[in-house]
Amino acid sequence: MSSHATRRLILLSLLVLIAAVLTLMNPVFLTAGNLLKLLQEASQTGIVAVGFTLVMISAGIDMSIGGIIALTAMVSINFISYTKLPVYVFVPLTLLVGVAAGFFNGFFITRFKLPEFIVTLATKGILSGLALVIAVKDSMGFVQNVYIQNEAYLWFGSSTFGGLYRTTIAFVLLGVGTQFFLKNTRGGTNIYATGANASAAKLTGISTERTVMGVYVFSGFCASLAAIFISSRMMTAMPELGIGSEMDVIASVVIGGTTFAGGMGDIWGTMIGSVFLALIKNGILKLGISPWIQPIVIGGIIVLTVIIDVWQKKLSDRLATKSKLRKIASAPGRRAA
Amino acid sequence: METKHANGDNLLTCKGVTKSYNGPIVLDNVDFSVRRGEVHALVGENGAGKSTLIKVVTGATGRNSGTITFDGEQMPLEFSRKDAQARGIACIFQELSLIPGMTVAQNIFLAKEPTIGRTRIIDKKKMNHQAQALIDKYKFPLKAEAAIDSISIAQRQLVEILKALSDNAKLMIMDEPTSSLTKTEVEMLFEIIHTLRGEGISVLYISHRMEEVYALSDRVTVLRDGKLVSILNKDMISPAEIIRLMIGHSISEKAVHHRLESKRSPVVLEVENITTVGKFENISFSLHKGEILGLGGLVGSGRTEVVRALYGIDPIDSGSVKFLGTPYVPSVKASIAAGIGFIPEERRLQGILATQTITSNIGIANLDVLAPKGVVSIRKELERAQKGISLLNVKPPDPSHLVGNLSGGNQQKVVLAKWLVRDLKLVFIDEPTVGIDIGAKEEIYEHIRKLSAEGVSILLVSSDLPELTRLADRVLVLRKGRIFHEFKDCVLTGEKILRAASGIIEEAADEA
Repeated sequence: MSSHATRRLILLSLLVLIAAVLTLMNPVFLTAGNLLKLLQEASQTGIVAVGFTLVMISAGIDMSIGGIIALTAMVSINFISYTKLPVYVFVPLTLLVGVAAGFFNGFFITRFKLPEFIVTLATKGILSGLALVIAVKDSMGFVQNVYIQNEAYLWFGSSTFGGLYRTTIAFVLLGVGTQFFLKNTRGGTNIYATGANASAAKLTGISTERTVMGVYVFSGFCASLAAIFISSRMMTAMPELGIGSEMDVIASVVIGGTTFAGGMGDIWGTMIGSVFLALIKNGILKLGISPWIQPIVIGGIIVLTVIIDVWQKKLSDRLATKSKLRKIASAPGRRAA
Repeated sequence: METKHANGDNLLTCKGVTKSYNGPIVLDNVDFSVRRGEVHALVGENGAGKSTLIKVVTGATGRNSGTITFDGEQMPLEFSRKDAQARGIACIFQELSLIPGMTVAQNIFLAKEPTIGRTRIIDKKKMNHQAQALIDKYKFPLKAEAAIDSISIAQRQLVEILKALSDNAKLMIMDEPTSSLTKTEVEMLFEIIHTLRGEGISVLYISHRMEEVYALSDRVTVLRDGKLVSILNKDMISPAEIIRLMIGHSISEKAVHHRLESKRSPVVLEVENITTVGKFENISFSLHKGEILGLGGLVGSGRTEVVRALYGIDPIDSGSVKFLGTPYVPSVKASIAAGIGFIPEERRLQGILATQTITSNIGIANLDVLAPKGVVSIRKELERAQKGISLLNVKPPDPSHLVGNLSGGNQQKVVLAKWLVRDLKLVFIDEPTVGIDIGAKEEIYEHIRKLSAEGVSILLVSSDLPELTRLADRVLVLRKGRIFHEFKDCVLTGEKILRAASGIIEEAADEA
């Protein structure tokens, strides 16, 4: 437990340190405008990462999030372009894209016992294909970039409330709610138990199938929700939107301390992780470094974090072994004659 | 119901329980019962059928025939572990089923957490309070809010017991509960078992440690080769008697006087005071050329761990090893290069590639010869495979046969063949004949003897007592990670080995 606290403290200190260095190197960093943009960026990844965290705590992985984001955005664009439905009607319908995709993932994983990675990767392929199929096209069949002018839709990602972008507010509400769910409800406990020791959980009477189903549905829902905010902020959407976002999402979750082995982690960590990642990306831009190195840096951070986590565990194991060895050495052997 | 009357004070009654895993019969018409509020020990050698009986009772596996009555109700032929749990059969496993990362209270109340009103929100205060109340009632040295990862194995076992108690368990099954506990922890556990008995809860206790069985049990059931041998009442229980019943008579008569000649041959492996924390301590011995050194002891006594460490799979924390007179740091690569082989215990897990052919299974351990430059010589590989097949009489003698489809005995022969086609100086063999039929057993024994006659030194780990007495020149008995006794030049019997393994040394040492 204390190593967990230490890790979090180090992460937060690092966050402050990097922010301080960035401020020194480019004063623009510490302006309200930049910080709000940074938080919005963090929130867009973070909303997806909240759902992803639950999947990872249950010892699964959801590779389909990019496909869900793309398809959700395309469904939205279709509603905006071809119907006159009000936002409060079509946005909830659009969110069903992620819920349905989550059901699809969960169904094949639990019913047919298929590997999570393969099922969700296939789902991603199917959904990104569907996104291309339903994209708005011109008479030649080329995908058209639709400029979103629906004011009510733009409310989500392009306007602020009390100074903060609504994306950020949504992220904080979602994060706090999910954290409460994880730590204070039976459903949350079931996710930890399933991820830490599925057979023990099952034996205790937990329906691990329902738990797994639930986390994929929630992950899909979060991805769809993020898609609304992202497309609203960009005021347009392409069928490629969100493809490749797994990198950022996984980085945020892993930096936050949730492990691939399952049974460990929380939303606070993921929230800090997504801010951390946004800070790194923002820093790269603000320091005038080529944005093309972003994915290299993010990939490096993922590997580094995992290495440090493994190393930390090994170190504590080794210390325990050493103290035991000393004990044995000081006690005389009682071998039989 | 009729049975209810007949077994008024029996909580669990098994009648004529028979179980076979495709072929060999593991439980043969076993009658077995546990009374209400008694501590009942189940003993027997490895392979006597204890764990299978437990599996049948807890619903982990079905049975072929026979009836099981629990708490006055007939259990169906197949039932799940959850069913058994719901009726009050709880099993405290050695490998615990707790959730790491959660607290003691969370584990006790997992899936039955107290909630606030009718919501699904857990009332943490109430949960911790109830857990602490339960802990205090039994005076367990635990804190409800402690993390599972931060408490000892013994304490985790207590959490398992509390979990079962909060499920209203009527029968608590403990499978080797003391194997990883210290002496004071064992005493605490015994006290707890007495408390449970006082509350009318039955405890079914499986142990290899005779002194524990003797100290604890009201009755003892002895199994041998899947059959019920005897049920002893409290006044009839003595450690020596139990061991006599476990072994039976037929085997001790076969005892052989052991030769001493190997002592004069040069030392091949010299092990001095090696220790690996949590596995074994201060192990020292020397192995001579062409000698078969038996390594006996109970499951969990550290035998396999010693062999794995010497082969270089697991690290050695301290101590030194000499091979052919020069200091040697074990590593798998160095072992293979030096002519040291390892035939592991779990064939399926460590010894064979089930989805591959006999040829590639034998080839993989010989790549240094078959592919010195990285490309495998198919012709040489096939030659080796054919040599191995004929050497060990593998059936069918078809090099392209998938190993996964062979019988257990033939799989084991392939594992042996992997090493025997090489020029070995030393080979570690761990449980060579578990789960294979008698015919194949004899063939394997013959090969082991032949190897030794050719001057190969053999370290043989076995739980099969006749195997040790028939093959080994000397036998070291390990107990709790230490060498407890060495048998050399004496009339070696299975009974003696088992006594030493159970910690009864006085009688074992006399003829040395």
